[in-house]
Amino acid sequence: MQPAARTAAGPTGSGRPTSRRRWDTTDLSLVAVFAALIAALAILPGIPVGPLGVPITLQTLGVMLAGIVLGPARGTAAVLLYLAAGLIGLPVFSGFTGGFGVLAGPSAGYLVAFPLAALVAGLLAVAVLRRTRRFRTALLFLACLTASLLTVHPIGIAGLVVNAGLPLRDAILVDAAYLPGDVLKNLLAAVLAVSVHRAFPRLLAGRRRNA
Amino acid sequence: MRGFGSTLGLYQPGSGFLYRTPLSVKAIVSLACAVVVVTWRSPATSAVALVLSVGALLIGAHRTFVRVLRMLLPAAPVLVILALYQGLSQGWLQAFAVVGGITACLLAARAVTLTTPLQDLLDGAAQLARPFRVVGAHPERFALALSIMLRSIPYLAGLFVDVRDAARARGLDRNPRVAVTPLVVGAVAYAHRTGEALAARGLGDDAADDAADDAADDASDRSDPHAD
Repeated sequence: MQPAARTAAGPTGSGRPTSRRRWDTTDLSLVAVFAALIAALAILPGIPVGPLGVPITLQTLGVMLAGIVLGPARGTAAVLLYLAAGLIGLPVFSGFTGGFGVLAGPSAGYLVAFPLAALVAGLLAVAVLRRTRRFRTALLFLACLTASLLTVHPIGIAGLVVNAGLPLRDAILVDAAYLPGDVLKNLLAAVLAVSVHRAFPRLLAGRRRNA
Repeated sequence: MRGFGSTLGLYQPGSGFLYRTPLSVKAIVSLACAVVVVTWRSPATSAVALVLSVGALLIGAHRTFVRVLRMLLPAAPVLVILALYQGLSQGWLQAFAVVGGITACLLAARAVTLTTPLQDLLDGAAQLARPFRVVGAHPERFALALSIMLRSIPYLAGLFVDVRDAARARGLDRNPRVAVTPLVVGAVAYAHRTGEALAARGLGDDAADDAADDAADDASDRSDPHAD
């Protein structure tokens, strides 16, 4: 139990989550809907790129959005829920695949990296949104870029080496083919997140009470 | 939208021993396939895994060979490119070891979803989460979240199509910002509506953990008047 008891009566009537673990139903459905959003973006036809044909999709856009729109905890939960749905066999991964089979596929490393990416991007985004109201788009873009360079690309390369049997040098080259698209998607994620936070100011920076 | 919801359920009724095998066994075999293929990568491993998974689909689910091949269509571009790359750079035996193994795992996973109704998969996932209760997880809330997620995908896909049509009507469909912003804002608004609807019914809160058990079944079907 944390002493900081804010009993602001939200629209749902249940108290705001004071201890970090307690999520109300709105948090729960935000997590679920963002998992669905990642799935919807992933299923839209992707473009196979590079010698391995790992497709470029908007999947990573959804992952980054979950992090910087919902924050680290709910964002990571949304990505984990998406992965869980895919692993139990729902066709929510790009190319309409699903099930444990993807763990042996060439893009498994990227999937494993997604929750970490959402976590890192979310932590950075919270830091940005709490501190400043200026240059938000640029700062959120940097948050996404940092997250993807720290997590998605290294772990993705490791996945290519292990699962697709590539030499490290080739794996790095293959991965580099995704960098330009990734930068664009991160930029788009930042622009979108700023719009969303403007429309729903209490979503993440909502620790301030509004009457 | 556009037949999206129907394609999400991959179950196809049929006969064969795979339909009678418990989900836990099928899931373990499918997971084991992925682990074995990655750990002991060799042409022999891939050949055995391939024979077993194709055999399971042919005999255990009474599918014809052509229909088994058709299951691989979505993944075909990736598999072909990977096979060509491996074959040209590392030799065709290695290409078979890598691509054959991945194919076997995809088919094994497909065999599970083909022969298990969606609701059984969801129940299985909730059961899988049960041991994590010790570390503070809520299997019922997990199942509820999974149901909400599944119900949201067709809504979001429909919203995406609508938003894109609207952007195209204004000649702005090449601007991703205009094409995607309403989708994301709409998704957040939808989540808030759903959250309020759940709270109004007393679902998904801690106080209603046992009620959430039913919610997992009911949430996929909103019209159900779950009156308290």
